[in-house]
Amino acid sequence: LVFLLLGPGAGQDVGRSCILVSIAGKNVMLDCGMHMGYNDDRRFPDFSYITQNGRLTDFLDCVIISHFHLDHCGALPYFSEMVGYDGPIYMTHPTKAICPILLEDYRKITVDKKGETNFFTSQMIKDCMKKVVAVHLHQTVQVDEELEIKAYYAGHVLGAAMFQIKVGCESVVYTGDYNMTPDRHLGAAWIDKCRPDLLISESTYATTIRDSKRCRERDFLKKVHETVERGGKVLIPVFALGRAQELCILLETFWERMNLKAPIYFSTGLTEKANHYYKLFITWTNQKIRKTFVQRNMFEFKHIKAFDRAFADNPGPMVVFATPGMLHAGQSLQIFRKWAGNEKNMVIMPGYCVQGTVGHKILSGQRKLEMEGRQILEVKMQVEYMSFSAHADAKGIMQLIRQAEPRNVLLVHGEAKKMEFLKQKIEQEFHVSCYMPANGETTTIFTNPSIPVDISLGLLKRETAIGLLPDVKKPKLMHGTLIMKDNSFRLVSPEQALKELGLAEHQLRFTCRVHIQDPRKEHETVLRVYNHLKGVLKDYSVQHLPDGSITVESILIQATAHSEDQGTKVLLVSWTYQDEELGSYLTSLLKKGLPQSTS
Amino acid sequence: YEDLHAFELQAPTRLIEWARGNRVCVAGYGQSGGNEILQLLPPPTLQVKETQGLCPERDFKVECGGFSNRPVYSLKYVPDTSLLVTSGPPDSSLQVWQVSAEDSDVIKPVGAIATVNGTGQPWAKIATVSARAPWVLHGSRLNSVQITEVESRKNVYMAASSNSEELSGLAFLDGNTLLLCCAKGQLCLADVRQLQSPLEAVSVPSAPCGEQWCMGVGRGPQGSDSSSQPVACLSSGGHLTLTDLRKTSESLASAKCRVPSPSSGAEFLCVSWAPALEGCLAISGFDGTVHVYDTQSWDSSGREAEPIFVHRGHSFGGSDSSGGPPLVTVHTWHPQKPRTLLSAASDGSLHVWDWVQSCGKC
Repeated sequence: LVFLLLGPGAGQDVGRSCILVSIAGKNVMLDCGMHMGYNDDRRFPDFSYITQNGRLTDFLDCVIISHFHLDHCGALPYFSEMVGYDGPIYMTHPTKAICPILLEDYRKITVDKKGETNFFTSQMIKDCMKKVVAVHLHQTVQVDEELEIKAYYAGHVLGAAMFQIKVGCESVVYTGDYNMTPDRHLGAAWIDKCRPDLLISESTYATTIRDSKRCRERDFLKKVHETVERGGKVLIPVFALGRAQELCILLETFWERMNLKAPIYFSTGLTEKANHYYKLFITWTNQKIRKTFVQRNMFEFKHIKAFDRAFADNPGPMVVFATPGMLHAGQSLQIFRKWAGNEKNMVIMPGYCVQGTVGHKILSGQRKLEMEGRQILEVKMQVEYMSFSAHADAKGIMQLIRQAEPRNVLLVHGEAKKMEFLKQKIEQEFHVSCYMPANGETTTIFTNPSIPVDISLGLLKRETAIGLLPDVKKPKLMHGTLIMKDNSFRLVSPEQALKELGLAEHQLRFTCRVHIQDPRKEHETVLRVYNHLKGVLKDYSVQHLPDGSITVESILIQATAHSEDQGTKVLLVSWTYQDEELGSYLTSLLKKGLPQSTS
Repeated sequence: YEDLHAFELQAPTRLIEWARGNRVCVAGYGQSGGNEILQLLPPPTLQVKETQGLCPERDFKVECGGFSNRPVYSLKYVPDTSLLVTSGPPDSSLQVWQVSAEDSDVIKPVGAIATVNGTGQPWAKIATVSARAPWVLHGSRLNSVQITEVESRKNVYMAASSNSEELSGLAFLDGNTLLLCCAKGQLCLADVRQLQSPLEAVSVPSAPCGEQWCMGVGRGPQGSDSSSQPVACLSSGGHLTLTDLRKTSESLASAKCRVPSPSSGAEFLCVSWAPALEGCLAISGFDGTVHVYDTQSWDSSGREAEPIFVHRGHSFGGSDSSGGPPLVTVHTWHPQKPRTLLSAASDGSLHVWDWVQSCGKC
């Protein structure tokens, strides 16, 4: 029985992910994300759903983080240090290395620049990371005696993983964010045919048919080129890690091919570390990058230089990558404010912007923004959106389901009303149940756990010796005794069971009376019966014993005269429980009467 | 190109139909069932109105979908209703579907329009017109052309013809006039108010026999009389003839297009007039390209014409299910944007493209 309590967060609310899974008595939290658009407590998941039952550390067996995006790990320090959780936290090595950087970055902006108070501190981030256990891909990690987890490559961003959670023979696979098509610097997600009871998949882009990468890149380059040619400046706000690398590679190649001279800058600090980590975790990138890395370092750029705040005021065209990605604070916002007033300039938003951020506002068409101190900023620069984020679309989701072969599918991150078609598609193609719970909703999925039973060799040998030869395609009916003792199940022969349990064996014997009309003497009737049975039951051993009884295998038949009617003979047919089938057959055969002619 | 978008559908389509709100519908034509009918919401770049919602994107969104066991060869929305009809082998019947995008995203099958002696007949061609909603004009041969009222399934018109010529297309010219195009090239007119009179044959285009023909009817501005627009007929040999229906004794103009002979016969032949570019039309179905022509300079000599633009994008795709190079199965013009077209090919690709206007041309 797998309970899924959809935590406050995931499930039709694109913004933060947090899922609670209860499997065979174990409780696991999947991701612990932060909502970037809210500035109050709504940005954190509501843990009161679970804390009302006591301490989190006692309740949860472990926490798993799929990747470093803040909508998946942003609330982790708040959760572990402010709400209180001391158990293990699992994530991949790159995620463990990069998470604290992003968390610290976000903390700095929120607290130092915005002056917020109810937020986690730098020390809390450090303390939280001490509880993290890093895992390798395809490494089975024993959380405790019964619970084990395994990470699979998810593509999407560096270090992103899909996790399999297994307790006994029940398992759940959580995908986090994943991508089924490889891109310039990451491979595609992959999982083996692990046949989990439940696959929890993100479905943000399930109803989307995506424009080809080539066309999107072509458009992006065209826009950058046009702006730079007319002397304008291009601002590309990015999260330091993720698409930024891909766009760098793209621009670098384009600049080289077109022999362009305008400078490209990448804001320092965070991004230097980012490139450093990519080099460290080169095995997490895709095959192509790894190959070229041997000849030429793909993360050292010829045309891209480190940025200095002063450059923003330089005249002439330039392209600048600056963080953070939604223009909600920091350097990218500073540069934006400087350049917004000039219509020759352009800002290209390379990702989804959460409601409340400046990025979201300008993409919605707002051209007059209220900044702090009631200042109004007029936006004359061109605003473009170029979505490069790598999420699985409907085709990708189908591919993953085909790879993993789950028994049930659960979709998160989408809009439920518009998912009926996908639900039917999945159910029709794979004959599995598909669920789409809402925020805070509990979904119960029933599993059919297989119970392993040991069968004694003696019993197996004995049963296969009787009757027809074993056929691989036909199930064979066996008789034995099931002993359930100390969490083990054994199938043994009845004799062995009796011996082990110290029970006496009892024999069950049935006797049936069949009346036959026959005026002759008893021994003549017996002879008639004997000849009849001998003729019909050719494959069986039919014997006429000296004492006047007949045996068919181990079944005994005796004839006596009826006490009141000499013309009627009474046949006593007697058999043991084991010969039930043959005994019943004989009885009904004899009830039909004897053939007229006899020898 | 001014703009180019390339999408990949899970299964190839041979139809692209426009619906309310610039929505686009595609459907699978696989022989082994499991075909999907998808109503797509195009990316904001294709919407004429100002962007609604969050962030402008480049992607199509599946708004709703349905499942069809039959291959879907033709699909038409029934104006002023929430219904659409489809047709496809193995007979000439129509399937009726309900689209209710508000409460659910599933396109539900709600019934069928059977045709007399329909089994074994080729698939039905379909046409609708908003002036005569909820009528559906359909048929696979000249003698099986009929109009059915979709909601009541009542037959309101039956063509009086004994000719069993196979049809390649049919259309409403206005609320009362029908134009039928036979696969062999013959065009016929009919008036729905005159139930018993035979169909009026229009001149046969002068081109070598053995070729298959299809037609494209111009769509004037809403409410105008379509019979004033010339009809374009395209043959599998690459001949294009334009005919004015008011003066059918001779063709208005004709030309020869430089196209290879199509590998799949006339199956995917498609010709259509641009709704917002005077005198321009597009053809496809011969290979992996779509040709756009400006017919304003054409005469009746029938000599070779030069396209003003050729979209080759589909030829660079992978191979289709039969292993050959992709073949463009259908194309359509954007109703408002003058030079924007959508085209689909047998490898599942769906392209949206807009070419750069060269000086002095249309």
